[in-house]
Amino acid sequence: MSTTTPPTPSIPQSPAEGRTAPAGVRVTAAGFTYQHADRERPALADLDLEIEPGEKVLLAGASGAGKSTLLHAMAGVLHEDGDRLSREETAASSGSSAAVEGTSGRKAANAEALNQLLLDGVSPAEARGRAGLMQQDPESQVVLARIGDDVAFSCENLAVPRDEIPGRVSAALAAVGLDYLPLDHPTAELSGGQKQRLALAGILAMQPGLLLLDEPTANLDPEGTVQVRDSVVAAAQATDATLVVVEHRLTTWVDHVDTLVVLEPGGGVRHRVPAQRIHDDTALREELDASGLWLPHREAGARRTAEPSSSRPTRKQGSPLLTASELAVHRKSPRKSWRKGPPVQPVLSGVDISLAPGAALGITGRNGAGKSTLMLTLAGLLAPHGGELIAGPALKGDRGAELPDSPYQWRSADLTSRIGTVFQEPEHQFVRNTVADELRLSAEQAKIPGTRDSLFTEDEVAQRVDRLLGRLRLTHLAQANPFTLSGGEKRRLSVGTALAAGPEVLMLDEPTFGQDAHTFAELVSLLREHLEAGGTVLAVTHDADFLHALDAECYDLSPDPSPPISSDSSAPTNPDVRGLSENQALISTGQSDNTLIKREDSTPLLSAIRDTSWLGRRGPLGKLIALLFITLALIATIDPVSAAVVAVACFALLPVANIRLVTFLKRIWIFAAASLMAVWGAAIAAEESGRVLVDLGVTTISTGSLEMGLSLGARAFAIVLPSVLIFSTTDPTDLADSLAQQLRLPARFVLGALAAMRLLGLMAEHWTTLGHARRARGLGSQFLSQAFGLLVQAIRMATRLAVTMESRGFGAGERSWARRASFTRADGVVVLAGFLIAAAATALAVAAGTWNLVWA
Amino acid sequence: MNTSASVPASSPFRQRWTVSDIVVASTLAVASGVIFWGWNLSYHAVSTLFTAYPPAASLVAGMWLFPAVLGAVIIRKPGAAIYCEMVAAAVSALLGSQWGLGVLLSGLVQGLGAELIILAFLYRRFTVDVAVLAGAAAGLAGGINENFIAAYYQYDTVGTAVHIGGFALSGAIIAGLLPWLATRGLAATGVLGPLKSRRAHKESALSGRVRETSAT
Repeated sequence: MSTTTPPTPSIPQSPAEGRTAPAGVRVTAAGFTYQHADRERPALADLDLEIEPGEKVLLAGASGAGKSTLLHAMAGVLHEDGDRLSREETAASSGSSAAVEGTSGRKAANAEALNQLLLDGVSPAEARGRAGLMQQDPESQVVLARIGDDVAFSCENLAVPRDEIPGRVSAALAAVGLDYLPLDHPTAELSGGQKQRLALAGILAMQPGLLLLDEPTANLDPEGTVQVRDSVVAAAQATDATLVVVEHRLTTWVDHVDTLVVLEPGGGVRHRVPAQRIHDDTALREELDASGLWLPHREAGARRTAEPSSSRPTRKQGSPLLTASELAVHRKSPRKSWRKGPPVQPVLSGVDISLAPGAALGITGRNGAGKSTLMLTLAGLLAPHGGELIAGPALKGDRGAELPDSPYQWRSADLTSRIGTVFQEPEHQFVRNTVADELRLSAEQAKIPGTRDSLFTEDEVAQRVDRLLGRLRLTHLAQANPFTLSGGEKRRLSVGTALAAGPEVLMLDEPTFGQDAHTFAELVSLLREHLEAGGTVLAVTHDADFLHALDAECYDLSPDPSPPISSDSSAPTNPDVRGLSENQALISTGQSDNTLIKREDSTPLLSAIRDTSWLGRRGPLGKLIALLFITLALIATIDPVSAAVVAVACFALLPVANIRLVTFLKRIWIFAAASLMAVWGAAIAAEESGRVLVDLGVTTISTGSLEMGLSLGARAFAIVLPSVLIFSTTDPTDLADSLAQQLRLPARFVLGALAAMRLLGLMAEHWTTLGHARRARGLGSQFLSQAFGLLVQAIRMATRLAVTMESRGFGAGERSWARRASFTRADGVVVLAGFLIAAAATALAVAAGTWNLVWA
Repeated sequence: MNTSASVPASSPFRQRWTVSDIVVASTLAVASGVIFWGWNLSYHAVSTLFTAYPPAASLVAGMWLFPAVLGAVIIRKPGAAIYCEMVAAAVSALLGSQWGLGVLLSGLVQGLGAELIILAFLYRRFTVDVAVLAGAAAGLAGGINENFIAAYYQYDTVGTAVHIGGFALSGAIIAGLLPWLATRGLAATGVLGPLKSRRAHKESALSGRVRETSAT
């Protein structure tokens, strides 16, 4: 092990000062070992590492070398299995930390206290707020719905005094270049790169001494990557914080750090060298290259897979497999337009694409340009909004001549054997318990058009599975659960499940995101085989190397839809210029409606923009109490009079909530339909009394049962109205503030629920994609499989979100609140109004003689 | 909403919720809200099947109960059933529920039904029989609520019995057996790594003991 230590830019702080001083943290690992509770071998064993205060470190290693585990350990978010070890472990580490404090400033060297990892001499869990962690997936780096709240979140967790929080928030947002956005800008409307910068702001607001980044740009386009990298480098320089970055694309970071640390898989540190050594140390480069890392000036994909183009068969033989002319696309189905409202405007229109056998096409362009939507439409998963999409005779095949022209109209079983789709997240495609079963399912689902007969015989299916397992190098994992594979293995399997059904056309969405150089090379060679066999590849990607390696044409959606440019790996437009124009667009509108990167929001009631009506500006607590009064008055009795009073009051109060009558009716009609069901139910199954109106033989409808039904239906309908009124004007974040501060519900649970609520829109998107993935795999609508898939993704997101929250100090102790939830006089008016409506409903029902207590 | 966070460390139920527990439980509840939403699309068609005898519609009501047992079996800490069911109810209230604020009452009562069963086994047994029992109890509690406490229905004696019985049966299958199976499936994918249920797929169905892999 080499132990060259580059000069450190800052003066080491003593641990006592370290708690408040913003300067860099010293990291000391001695014999550090960690084993995940569900693994057989330790992720890290006997690791010795010393990182100087202010040192900038790039942490590398083959996949599975424990890089992320080490970062999590430094962030203090690794936990021992709750059932064992916890007490002794804590005692041991705090005891040893006292020992180290005495000799701090020197080298690690406390030989007796092995298996320890210390930040400035204290255990990471105790050094809360000193280290900030940024993970790979931008979605799970955002906790709250508005950017200001999201940055303030970490300050609140560290119990920063309320007066100090606004200053910290604006300073942090300025440091990452997001201060041009209003503080209540919805986090859901940020691009991936902006989300990562926001996460950095949240970390900087803690004024940490250690920045930990776990592949922070793996999911970003080149433009976002540069912006995030530059923000991180600038912040680390400005604060003198120690920086540790895990990344397998070394190129991005290596010229901005002091030191390169390479981990030994299953062991300790293999190398610790000045970062610049990577440019001239041939042996080191060879070794890193063999570990699947991306080196500067030697992009593995281009080198390993590039063959002379002349060796490829002549391209574009035969008639096109799939032709799009004047195609217009949108996520939402055009069929839904029978509902009133403005017709859906396609995100893209006038697209002309022709896919010829043996040719590859790359769809490129900035985020939000509609690349994925276009791909899903071409793949027959979304309905075209305009223009034509025609499958050629070569794609339909001999037995499929009768198929409609548009792939969207095909059965899923006919689609899967003609057009295979590989989704950005491989897990979306997994529906079976073992790797072999996944491949077998694909082969079995391919059917002969118009029949339920399999395209392949049983022997053929078995052959295809075996051959693919071997080709994908997954034979030894044939019985493994697909979800437990590594990232690269999952990617290979996801391509395999598409290929197993034998499609001519293969569509891939960002297949190289987050992949190491090994997987990249394998992917390229798999796809080249597919091309050479006369198939077609269409990839949505930001990866110019990938397109170059496939010798692909490029269809760039960036400025405006334009005809295909016939050039290999066209250089992307200067990202800085694009980033600037994006910012300027936002400044000039000065509004939070950023149409460039707007995502679909399927949950209108949970938007981050506060309601500005009179009712919308009132505190949640008053509204909740008012709602409680009214609901209680309705539940206490089954009578039409009190229901009518409440309904009338709600309609009369619409102006206070600034809701138009039409909007309100649209929102409640479905509940009216449900109450009719309640009327019917009681009419035929309630206790009969009075005159018999209808005799159905088995049962009868009498005046008594019908009256009961009408009362129940009216009551059910009336219960909904005030809650729709109140909840359409209540912001979930304010509600959570109020529940935790005023009602004193446990803050950890309230904020946990609030953070999860933000994932709602995201989960709706997952649900849709899971549906697409099932159709692409030749399966029909499968509710349980889709629900299970959603649970897996939900738990994955939740686990990462929990790490984010914990690394920002959440859940450990007393917290402060950036906003005080207070009860004003106007809130009193709301409560009084609620009480009066409830009282009036009850009084009028009593006066009319219809009031009857249900519990009597 | 939940009191387990403040239970003193010395009590037999001292298992404090970790941040992962809280966020996963909350997310499960919110995801359940999304599944409700997907289910609601099919429910309109399903409910018409019961037009002939509406009290029997409770046979599919278990779909609204599954977060309770799912949360309890995955999180395995006190309060999980009530918490998940109530957050799921709160989400549906926010999205505009058929029962308005009344869903919170339903969520509390149904969650309590499941929680009591898990409590009876001292938060130590998460076997298939306990899950089915807890689902049935959630259904029973839900039936009692809808017929007597919130009283959304006023059926005759037979109708009430059918409604409550159907509720419990549906709860046992849809909200007991299915969540138990789902938990095993989830554990097999490895996503439950940070949680106590991470080895659920290796537990025997009735004894709950982890089967050791006899590799040596």
